[in-house]
Amino acid sequence: MELISGLLYGFAVSFTPANLFACFVGVFVGTLVGVLPGIGPVATMSLLLPVTYAMSPTASIIMMAGIYYGAMYGGSTTSILVNIPGEAASVVTCLDGYQMARQGRAGPALGIAAFGSFIAGTLSVLGIMLLAPPLTSVALRFGPPEIFGLLLLGFTMVTYLTAGSKLRAVAMALLGMLLGTVGLDPILATPRFTYGSVTLGDGLGLVPIIMGLFGVSEVLLNIEKGVTQEVFETRIKGLLPTREDWKISAAPIARGSVLGFFLGILPGIGAIIPTFISYALERRISRHPERFGTGAIEGVAAPEAANNAATGGAMIPLLTLGIAPNVVMAVLLGAFLIHGVQPGPLLIREHPDMFWGVIASMYVGNVILLILNLPLIGLWVQLLRVPYGLLFPLILLFCIIGVYSEASNVWDIVVMLVFGVIGLLMKKYGYEAAPLVLAFVLGGMAEESFRQSLLLSHGHFDILFTRPLATGLLILALAVMVLPAVVPPVKRILGTVGEETGT
Amino acid sequence: MRGADRVSSFVLVLFALVAVNEARKLRLGTLTNPGPGFVPLCLALALALVALLLLWRALREPATPAPPAEPGERWKPVASLIALVAYTFALEPLGFVLATAALLFFFFRVLDGQRWWIALASAVVVSALSYLIFARALHVRLPEGPWS
Repeated sequence: MELISGLLYGFAVSFTPANLFACFVGVFVGTLVGVLPGIGPVATMSLLLPVTYAMSPTASIIMMAGIYYGAMYGGSTTSILVNIPGEAASVVTCLDGYQMARQGRAGPALGIAAFGSFIAGTLSVLGIMLLAPPLTSVALRFGPPEIFGLLLLGFTMVTYLTAGSKLRAVAMALLGMLLGTVGLDPILATPRFTYGSVTLGDGLGLVPIIMGLFGVSEVLLNIEKGVTQEVFETRIKGLLPTREDWKISAAPIARGSVLGFFLGILPGIGAIIPTFISYALERRISRHPERFGTGAIEGVAAPEAANNAATGGAMIPLLTLGIAPNVVMAVLLGAFLIHGVQPGPLLIREHPDMFWGVIASMYVGNVILLILNLPLIGLWVQLLRVPYGLLFPLILLFCIIGVYSEASNVWDIVVMLVFGVIGLLMKKYGYEAAPLVLAFVLGGMAEESFRQSLLLSHGHFDILFTRPLATGLLILALAVMVLPAVVPPVKRILGTVGEETGT
Repeated sequence: MRGADRVSSFVLVLFALVAVNEARKLRLGTLTNPGPGFVPLCLALALALVALLLLWRALREPATPAPPAEPGERWKPVASLIALVAYTFALEPLGFVLATAALLFFFFRVLDGQRWWIALASAVVVSALSYLIFARALHVRLPEGPWS
């Protein structure tokens, strides 16, 4: 059994002291930023990119991945106790989680969120294990036309499945791709839109853009509005859900896990949309839909499972194809690249320690998270009482250090501040940042694969339509574009949940 | 928000038109052998089109009076940004510790309204601590300034 031996090898790798420590630091920091409002996993991972220079490649990826799924745990804590989602994937958890807390059931809500996340995390690790190796052999047949098709599918997904205005998402995706063309032309190395600037010559940096759009803009918005943190003043007792809670939640957790995992694999989805869909699904099939929004425990369990499973699913395109399906994975891809490792179909053969080590570490990380989050929940709650006046200068400072240390270039800080202002305006005028950033990352790859395809075919477009895999992906991309118009339920589910949560 | 929608989509249209103009200066190439300017021009044109659609949609909606301004202190983010820009350019001449202490003092004292000595003490402590953690323990390169 190749799988078993691979996994055992992975556990051996992840249990070495250095990797175990990296895993612990990752999930710990992840929980921390998940709990703290105003800084999320994306900004934190970008911030810690330069720190990973000093670490082994495997330990870096283990830590980075840990931050991501750790933040999924931490985010639910603030949703339940303060009605403020610590990060966007926990927005739905507010609906029933906060109601449960108000009824004195904060304990079981936190408990089921942690257990649901754990079960989902575990199932998604199993899913990666089973799906990634066979997909790797498919991925080996990917040439530029197939990659172009897949990226196109990603663009249509990210814009047509957004909860807000689709036209605005399209505008942001186009803007992101346009910003991605700054720098050297990928085929001919002609400078584009650089205006003689050295900073722009290398293209706009991903880290400054992310820190600006996700870190600085959030802080600026918060200091304008003023953050009021009222922790729910109640003793949290009885974290363990009752037998009755389990009976209600078991099936929703299972459904949320499967849904989240498979949605997470698709490019452009991320961890947020699965939570909306899973919540809507549970309410639709529930025999008592009226309970939702008034403290239904399955309304906490299902989306929490979905967002954790989605983080696992999202690892698949990264590990097998080297393509980032969402913004977080784009940062993770960056972490691979600074260590000179190209994730993709060859990863499992050339770096089995990384491939299996990272997968096994996610399992280890989920266990650590369960320990961190259940007995230590009181500690995280105390963190919510740190005054924002102390917190926001620190967040800004960390953003500056992270951006500067990448290349010791103060102009990168300027780029970050500019995108901080752009991000603030985008938030105020109702534009989403995720399509912009994802398109920024994938846009360059799309142009490159498109032009490589044309070079391969000596300028004939039939190369996109004569290779079955490429054609299939293009048809799928087209289908996603047409689907919402043809099948209204998809649109309706996303629409109604979006309205309720005000996103 | 209708008025705001008009402004934001108008800004997008303007940006896209500038981008179209700039992209035209690059070699376009042909459809089957695209040059460096081909993809940027297509993207800029597409963005212009989408932004115009957004603008058209915003204009078609009846103009509603601007909603009452959300409670908030508009000066705070502006002041923070000015401080951050000043910090950015002071970072290399002054060195990380001094520049950071000054920035933090500004945040603690002016934005958060702490007493000046509490603000000063916490600014110095946080600045020194972050230097020790990032530059010494994590080996992140930070500007030393005149004390290198």
